[in-house]
Amino acid sequence: MNAQSAVKEQEPANRHGNLRPVEQRVLTIAVAGNPNAGKSTLINAIAGSRLHVGNWPGVTVEKKEASFEYQGTKIRLVDLPGTYSLSPYTQEEIIARDYLVEERPDLILNVVDATNLERNLYLTVQLMELGIPVVMALNIYDEAQAKGYRIDVAQMEKMLGIPVVPTSATKKTGLDQLLQVAVSGEKSPQLAVPHQLNYGEDIEAAAEFIAGNLRTSAPALLERYPSRWLLLKLIEGDAEVRKATNLTEETLLPEALHHLRRAHGEDLEAVLAEVRYSLATGLTREVLKKPELPRTEVTEKIDRIVLHRVFGIPIFLAAMWIMFKLTFDVSKPLADWISSMIAGPFKHWAEALLGLIHAPEWTVSLATDGVIAGTGNVLVFVPMIFAMMFFITFLEGSGYMARAAFVMDRAMHAIGLHGKSFIPMLLGFGCNVPAIYATRTLENPRDKALTALLVPLMSCGARLPVYVVFIGAFFPKNGGTVLWSLYVMGIVLAIVMGFIFKKTLFRGDAPMFIMELPPYRVPSFKSLMIHTWEKGKHFLVKAGTYILAVSIMVWFLLNLPWGVEHKRDSYLGQVGAAVAPALSPLGFGSWEASSSLIAGLVAKEIVVGTMGEIYVKKAEEKKAEKPTFAQDLQTAGSGLVKALGESVNNVTSTFGVSSLSTDEDAEKLAERTPLREELKKQFTPLAAYAFITFVLLYMPCVVAAVAMVHEFGTWKWYGIAFGYQMVLAWSMALLVYQGGKLLGFGG
Amino acid sequence: MNLAVLKPGQKGRIVSIGAIGPLKRRLMDMGVLVGEEVKVVKVAPMGDPIEVYIKSYNLSLRKNEAEGIAVEVLA
Repeated sequence: MNAQSAVKEQEPANRHGNLRPVEQRVLTIAVAGNPNAGKSTLINAIAGSRLHVGNWPGVTVEKKEASFEYQGTKIRLVDLPGTYSLSPYTQEEIIARDYLVEERPDLILNVVDATNLERNLYLTVQLMELGIPVVMALNIYDEAQAKGYRIDVAQMEKMLGIPVVPTSATKKTGLDQLLQVAVSGEKSPQLAVPHQLNYGEDIEAAAEFIAGNLRTSAPALLERYPSRWLLLKLIEGDAEVRKATNLTEETLLPEALHHLRRAHGEDLEAVLAEVRYSLATGLTREVLKKPELPRTEVTEKIDRIVLHRVFGIPIFLAAMWIMFKLTFDVSKPLADWISSMIAGPFKHWAEALLGLIHAPEWTVSLATDGVIAGTGNVLVFVPMIFAMMFFITFLEGSGYMARAAFVMDRAMHAIGLHGKSFIPMLLGFGCNVPAIYATRTLENPRDKALTALLVPLMSCGARLPVYVVFIGAFFPKNGGTVLWSLYVMGIVLAIVMGFIFKKTLFRGDAPMFIMELPPYRVPSFKSLMIHTWEKGKHFLVKAGTYILAVSIMVWFLLNLPWGVEHKRDSYLGQVGAAVAPALSPLGFGSWEASSSLIAGLVAKEIVVGTMGEIYVKKAEEKKAEKPTFAQDLQTAGSGLVKALGESVNNVTSTFGVSSLSTDEDAEKLAERTPLREELKKQFTPLAAYAFITFVLLYMPCVVAAVAMVHEFGTWKWYGIAFGYQMVLAWSMALLVYQGGKLLGFGG
Repeated sequence: MNLAVLKPGQKGRIVSIGAIGPLKRRLMDMGVLVGEEVKVVKVAPMGDPIEVYIKSYNLSLRKNEAEGIAVEVLA
């Protein structure tokens, strides 16, 4: 055993040592900058399709990376989250600084907004404390020039001691020069080593005192961390650093800090922030000349209309209406086409192929109803996810997202949410899946989680067919009122649950709304496409795998044991029968009802299909002529053309007369009279209402569940959503049924 | 006077910041510092939050966050 493992251990060493040439060193460049400084656009312009989008480990913050070669140097670009500072309070800031301090990149590429120099330089000052070479991209330089700003770049380089390259990521100017400087910095690193800025006599003295102290008591710390940064953080009283270094005020630094406090006040964190800002202000004053008379800016003009006291809200609602319609109406024909392809030609072809090799019947069913249908389940979401991602990225890139939050915050804050929560909640009415992904626009993890927990209470499009069948059967006269009541119930319960969560799960968290309202900008189309594509791909690969797996599991549940005569004997029927007693106080304690509800796990509209299969004795399978391969191809082609035509049509109709297809759907569903007649025998009207209440509220469908797990990287929030929704659905249905009986609406 | 009661168009100079912890640090990181000049630009349609102009950019914050920021009114 021992000998064997020894040999194994030696192997890799040999391979590296003798067989392979020494790996060429990779230049790791961390890209840091304020939000809205054009960092994403710059990275997209440099790296383009080589960009890989993922998440920082353990958190929901996006991580972008790209590896490529520039003039013979291998470069790894790591995009840090956009931050205003390196303080330890927000997730983004902690990620950025942990990366810089722990991973020690070879170079920091600091993207600075030239039109907003002072606040951007505040971060630059902090980056310069890290002892890592810095190269500055003075971005949005074209806009600054157009505004009449004159920036003395040479003076800036002299004062900071780092190369400064004017760039415009949207116009793609200066990017080559920027990379050139970054690469040449590699050959003579001292070129980009920032000056040590003077933080004032008192602070420098305290830093020197602590440094002297550390050199004797804990020299390892000075090795492990960038020393300048460590000293300043210790003075600031940075909680994370104190914890990591095990240094308390009493053990190491009392005298030094006493003096500082006497001279500058108790809050040393504030003192340091002021010193850093005054450095940024001083630098700005030296290098920036602004025109005497600033013109009224475009942003101001737009805001005068968009944030208008009277028109602001209508304009916002109109924008949301357009986004909602475009997201769901444009993607719907394509999604329908995909599902018809899956149910039609693909299924036929698979059946034909399996028929050729005489595969047993159950494998044919597994392949078509399990695997292919499951793949379809994933694919139908793709157009919607792409459309949603496109609009969200557009709203963020243009600067309107911040305004949307500004306009809606009062109302959303009242129920414990953030102004930006409105968009995910709204999308939830179309489909909960893109809605959950849309929570990524919320920076604060608390706001994000709370929003995602409440999204499933927004009645999505997949629940509508269930309502329609029951309304058609039981409430044909006042269907509108019943339907309306369900949507309102969802919203009211979201408000109630928001309040409860605020007081329980999220007690003590103090959310903030301190947010920049950036100038409006036209987002770069390339940037938009790259982002949309990366996100869509991510969904397809990561979430798709899970959804497929669950679909196959459900197939087993539905179809095994193979060959049962009666649905009651399938695993689904058995589980349904076991669960049924728990549902009988709600008025629908039959195995048929509970089995249908369980099948709704895949997607809530499946409840209807399953009920159809269970309740209505299926007419003899029609022996329809199977279409030929050529016919299938033809249908597929013309179907796609038709779908694309409808998509385009829906774009135009969004701005004109509504073309909602609900009427059509309603008619179609009303046609299924056999199911309606059967339901009338099985349910009382009161039980029917309790049942659709239950469908509104119970567990999110499997795709929404996967979205939640995927987006948050943990099962925690899905677990909570599942639990509270089940309890809520059960109690509300109970309230409806038992309360209704008490009020004399019949049992 | 605190920042939350200024009318749109009014300017003030920050005298003190009453906030503590993360809120205070966040305000400081955004350039809301003692001595800084700040102008209220807009109030949101529903009356909260507000938009201010500070350090040559536009910042929005809720009224309850602005209440802790004491200002002396300028012009």
